Amino acid sequence: MTLHFSHFQSMLLFALAISVAFGFLSRRPALERLKYIGWSVLMFLLIGVGIGWVMYPFSR
Amino acid sequence: MMAEAQVAEPEEHYQAKSEGTAMAIGIAGWVLPGLGHGLQKMWGRAIACFLTVGVLVVIGAGMRGNLFTADGGDAFAALGYVADLGAGSFYILARALEADGPDVSRAAGDYGTRFLAAAGVLNLLAALHAYEAARGRKA
Repeated sequence: MTLHFSHFQSMLLFALAISVAFGFLSRRPALERLKYIGWSVLMFLLIGVGIGWVMYPFSR
Repeated sequence: MMAEAQVAEPEEHYQAKSEGTAMAIGIAGWVLPGLGHGLQKMWGRAIACFLTVGVLVVIGAGMRGNLFTADGGDAFAALGYVADLGAGSFYILARALEADGPDVSRAAGDYGTRFLAAAGVLNLLAALHAYEAARGRKA
């Protein structure tokens, strides 16, 4: 079995899995969990893409 | 003047278990992701731990990430082994899924290595949470 994902898909899957686990472990009411998961995924993606752009000038 | 009504915060009481039982729950949570919370009837957390660790392991193995072994050779390999072993029984699942072995010559394989390590560390964190909850320290 070999899975093929793009860089962005890999990052999205990673962000989703980690955020869901952290959300369930650290928050109790369902709404709080949803808010936490949403924010966490968003921050993962924003910071990940941001770091990517910061590194871009040094990539070649 | 009307006195302000005191509204009591709803408190959730958790029965603190003995040290031995809490330890057994923590170990159970490490062996099978989510079991530590399942034994305490925290079903949402149990399912979330099982699924997230499972998904990370399946994707990591599917991307042919490096699954470290005991005879890694250097300190980083030893650390990687500890992280991978954190997934408990899912370490064996990852080994079974990676029939062709790792392939870190591509970026996907490198990502897979991170997925597998993250699954292990996440499961260790969940097992520790289950232990703390059993001790009555966390809800």
